Amino acid sequence: MSISECTDKPLDLSPVAAMVADRAPFSEGDVIDALQDMQTRYGYLPRAAMDEMARLSGVPVARLYGVATFYSQFHLQPHGRHAVRVCRGTACHVRGAAGILSAISRHLGIEDGDTTPDMQFSIESVACLGTCFLAPVMLVDDQYYGNLTSDKAVATLKRIQARDGAPNAAAQPAAQKGSAPCPP
Amino acid sequence: MSAMNTPIEALQIRRREAIASHPRRAVRICCTGCRALGALEVHAAFEAELAAAGLTRDVALIKTGCQGVCAGAPVIGIDPEGILYLGARPEDVPEIVRTTLLGGNVVERLCFRGADGPLPKRSAIPFFAAQNQIVLDRCGRIDPTRIESALAAGAYAMLEQALTTMDPEAVIRAITASGLRGRGGAGFPTGRKWGFARAAAGDVKYLVCNADEGDPGAFMDRAVIEGDPHAVLEGMLIAAYAIGARHGYVYVRAEYPIAIEHLHIAITQAREWGLLGGNILGLGMDFDVAIKAGAGAFVCGEETALLASIEGKRGQPRPRPPFPAQSGLWGKPTNINNVETLANVPAILRMGAERYAGMGTPTSKGTKIFALAGKVAHTGLVEAPMGVTLRELVYGIGGGVRKGRAFKAAQMGGPSGGCVPARYLDLPIDYESVKEVGAIMGSGGLIILDENTCMVDIARYFMDFCAKESCGKCAPCRIGTTRMLEILQRICAGEGQPQDVDKLEALAYQVKKNSLCGLGQTAANPVLSTLRHFREEYMEHIALKQCRASVCSGLMESPCSHACPAGVDVPDYLTLAAEDRYAEALAVVQMRNPLASVCGRVCDHPCEHRCRRGDMDEPLGIRDIKRFVTDTVAAPWRPPEPWSERETQRRVAVIGAGPAGLSCAYFLRFFGHRVTIFESLPEPGGMLRVGIPAYRLPVERLKLDIDFILSTGVELKLNAPVENLDALFDAGYEAVFLGVGAHESAPLKGIDTAAPGVLDGVRFLRDVTFGKVSGPLGRTAVIGGGNVAIDAARSALRLGAEVTVVYRRTRAEMPAYPEEIEAAEHEGIALVFLAQPTGVVDDHGRVTALRCVRMEPGAADASGRRQPVARTDSAFQIPCDTVISAVGQKVAARDAWGLRLTPHGTYETDPAALATSRDRVFAGGDCVRGPSSVVQAIGDGQRAAGSIDKLFGGTGKLPDNLKLSRSRYAAQSEEPATRPRPPLAALAGRTASFDEVVATLGDGAARCEARRCLRCDLEKTCQ
Ligand code: FES
Repeated sequence: MSISECTDKPLDLSPVAAMVADRAPFSEGDVIDALQDMQTRYGYLPRAAMDEMARLSGVPVARLYGVATFYSQFHLQPHGRHAVRVCRGTACHVRGAAGILSAISRHLGIEDGDTTPDMQFSIESVACLGTCFLAPVMLVDDQYYGNLTSDKAVATLKRIQARDGAPNAAAQPAAQKGSAPCPP
Repeated sequence: MSAMNTPIEALQIRRREAIASHPRRAVRICCTGCRALGALEVHAAFEAELAAAGLTRDVALIKTGCQGVCAGAPVIGIDPEGILYLGARPEDVPEIVRTTLLGGNVVERLCFRGADGPLPKRSAIPFFAAQNQIVLDRCGRIDPTRIESALAAGAYAMLEQALTTMDPEAVIRAITASGLRGRGGAGFPTGRKWGFARAAAGDVKYLVCNADEGDPGAFMDRAVIEGDPHAVLEGMLIAAYAIGARHGYVYVRAEYPIAIEHLHIAITQAREWGLLGGNILGLGMDFDVAIKAGAGAFVCGEETALLASIEGKRGQPRPRPPFPAQSGLWGKPTNINNVETLANVPAILRMGAERYAGMGTPTSKGTKIFALAGKVAHTGLVEAPMGVTLRELVYGIGGGVRKGRAFKAAQMGGPSGGCVPARYLDLPIDYESVKEVGAIMGSGGLIILDENTCMVDIARYFMDFCAKESCGKCAPCRIGTTRMLEILQRICAGEGQPQDVDKLEALAYQVKKNSLCGLGQTAANPVLSTLRHFREEYMEHIALKQCRASVCSGLMESPCSHACPAGVDVPDYLTLAAEDRYAEALAVVQMRNPLASVCGRVCDHPCEHRCRRGDMDEPLGIRDIKRFVTDTVAAPWRPPEPWSERETQRRVAVIGAGPAGLSCAYFLRFFGHRVTIFESLPEPGGMLRVGIPAYRLPVERLKLDIDFILSTGVELKLNAPVENLDALFDAGYEAVFLGVGAHESAPLKGIDTAAPGVLDGVRFLRDVTFGKVSGPLGRTAVIGGGNVAIDAARSALRLGAEVTVVYRRTRAEMPAYPEEIEAAEHEGIALVFLAQPTGVVDDHGRVTALRCVRMEPGAADASGRRQPVARTDSAFQIPCDTVISAVGQKVAARDAWGLRLTPHGTYETDPAALATSRDRVFAGGDCVRGPSSVVQAIGDGQRAAGSIDKLFGGTGKLPDNLKLSRSRYAAQSEEPATRPRPPLAALAGRTASFDEVVATLGDGAARCEARRCLRCDLEKTCQ
């Protein structure tokens, strides 16, 4: 994804100050927490905000990037409004997680790790959601969905699309399986 | 709190109050794990319904953590009755309130399904009966977000006891005496660890709770924190007291939002109640806890990497020593325990170290929590004493493998662990025993793998995981895992090289030896353990391009056609059948299998066992649809369209007109070679003719297939036994295929089939075919549990006998097709299990009874099946006039042919080409495999035809499948649907003749059934 950060609105950096001040005296031990806050606030880790945090906290910006790039939770690019986390853990794997992931990526027209052009969804496969007993599983934002089939997973996304009133709610069902009623 | 009370007295008062206000009538809904199936909606429905019924005051509605039987989500417990409801939806709630809470009755449809009907009471459910819940005692009972609820159930009582009656050394002594070992994986003795931390110099010490449950497929820690966070906090407090720590951290995975939330609430409430912070309970102890949310890195489960992460750095491990106990967080002494270990601590003090140590095995004490997942029927959270066996966990508690499939292995220990195969089902599980068989206990994740799981794919999966999660600090791990992954990917894609397995093994040992931290040192374990126990699966992928579980998509178009030994393009013909294009559907089958009518009736349908639809509701009735097609398209049938017009004039002799020989002849004609079949019997068909009774396979249907095969120009010689292979070569045949089957019965000790009244099963069936059974059979005892035994029994019944089948194992282990066993029983045949015949009782040459002993399941063999052993003093007799022995078949191998045999007495061949030890002689079917299936024989014939074509300079490749239904069928649906059962002939009259029992599906039913196909083949081409 290459989404330019130079949007018309400049990024509001004022919340960064609180992220640092709340942890005074800010030490290296606070870096992960603070970055988690930043990601919650902006949805990703904007470059300008990282610079600002480095300036205010005195932690070198290289340190911040070192941490941000190490952990899979952090994104340096804007992510979609809804995070679709599809489990690829062992229990889900043996019960068909690959099929769920491919159905979702076909439905949204994006690959694992990418974001839809309208910024509505990001797909992210994760190692385990601790819901292995209902495999295969996905977590959309903070709602878990278990015992999935491809149909159920896609229907869930369609419900969210309908709720959000997204223009492409039913658009581009790229090579999607038909679900027309049985002809007589 | 009155000013006069000490903090301890105040706590006791509040505890008493909490107990007093504890409701008797309660509805407990799991609102953590079960959220994934709508538990919160069910809870809301209860709230509304209780209010409407005016019950809000009388019934406590409690949101609990995990109640264990997670497969039944959402789980609802109703007390004081102890009722458990599973899988309720909000629409069911009014009925529950009406029927159970008001009416005092049970809603049976929501109960656990036991073997003999619904089990409403939690205590009666086998899932719980075999458990021993010490650590999980409160989990699923209390409301984890209300400290009162935990206090009423005894939380923090052990903290109080430790602080008031024990000094820190005494606590450490107790934990040491209990034998508690770290539950996070390595199993280091917890008491010793605490001792090191206590002894370490320095007044600032840290205590860390590792809740970074990184093993995919493990959820014990999540469940404990979400369901009873106070157990963890109490354990931490006692640990902190023992080692003298004032600061604690809980490092939780970010993927566990509910766990973080519940822990946060618990910490806040514990602080309010004076259980955390300064001067705890007024006893001078200071301790506080902070939560650190992980940010997604598996390596952080490793101690030193975890500490680096808490310090806000990249989570990279560092070499030890120094160990964290000397130099941990910010260089200070640090003690790290995992969630379950800490939750054990209060339980140990409560029951006493000695009693705790009384549970388990000599080296591993106490209980272990297992996360039961994968292909097991009842997934969930299980706590059982150490030393429990896999069999108890999977079959006792877990209710067996899902869909009645065969158990293949249990994956233990995640990416650092390995796969424990069926042969170790009876191994008592503890740290040492699991290690010995090539896995590790790990944190207790137990993923059950069935026959539809590919072990090479599992190895590839874990290597992919480790390669991605390798932190990159050391080269052996970073590069080694990537190289291993490349090899595994190659093998799964069908591009494996013969030397790959050795390369993989060598790399695995290097990575294991040279990596810096635990991640790398254990990353090769899944590879090594699958190589150790499932090497033949690797070999099949490489040499035969076969994935026996039909998983590796690179090797196949669809799981069903890959599972078919003949390689029939199943999805294509199903779709054609759904579109009423029956003649084309038949042509698609006949491209790979000329015995379509036969297989439509008697195939053991490996395709259906691998059908993906089977994971959703039921597998497609592939065999029934095939039969429908063959019964619908009018004969005579012409060979399918791309039939080669080529004639090579090269001559091949096929010995045996059974399924292997017929198939080989047919495909040789495809390649244009001239074929003569030599059959020793007066009629063609082999076992299809003389082994399978007409009520299963009518002679006319068999004839239809044989005529079709002969119509391609095959010459057939009947009553033509071949004594000498040289004579064939002398006569101008350039290659020979042997498909002579296994027509001799295996002997059984004590049963002499030459004696009067004692018959040999295979011969009996042949005599039935040719109308040669003389005299009444009377009461007949049939020995055996395979298809021959059931065929003999049902045939004898049709000849007027009164039949009993005697089998030495249990019903579930009978190798005969389940539908055949059912039909036999239905027709009035008695079945006696766990009985081993030892001899025949006769009275002057007349059989009067079969002598038997009772058997019981003993130790497991290599396949995990328990070998039956005789019970002492259990001899008994079954009165009878005739005995038929059908305990197996063997090959009547001819020495004169000069071919090498296997130890089993079958012809030795190389699996890829099916070439025997003699040049230009090939073999297949039962005479190579021992008694096997019709479709295996057909597949072998096809494969051998290819080998012979290659011998003659051809490509050996059959034309591609027809692909007549290129379009995706629009009406397919994942909506649950049951598969139609073909009608059966009425019982009355059925057993008096050899008329066919099973009828053809109606065309509506067949068409509709065909539409359930998910078209996995297109799934793949679309990706
Ligand atoms: S493996 Fe998917 S939730 Fe654990």
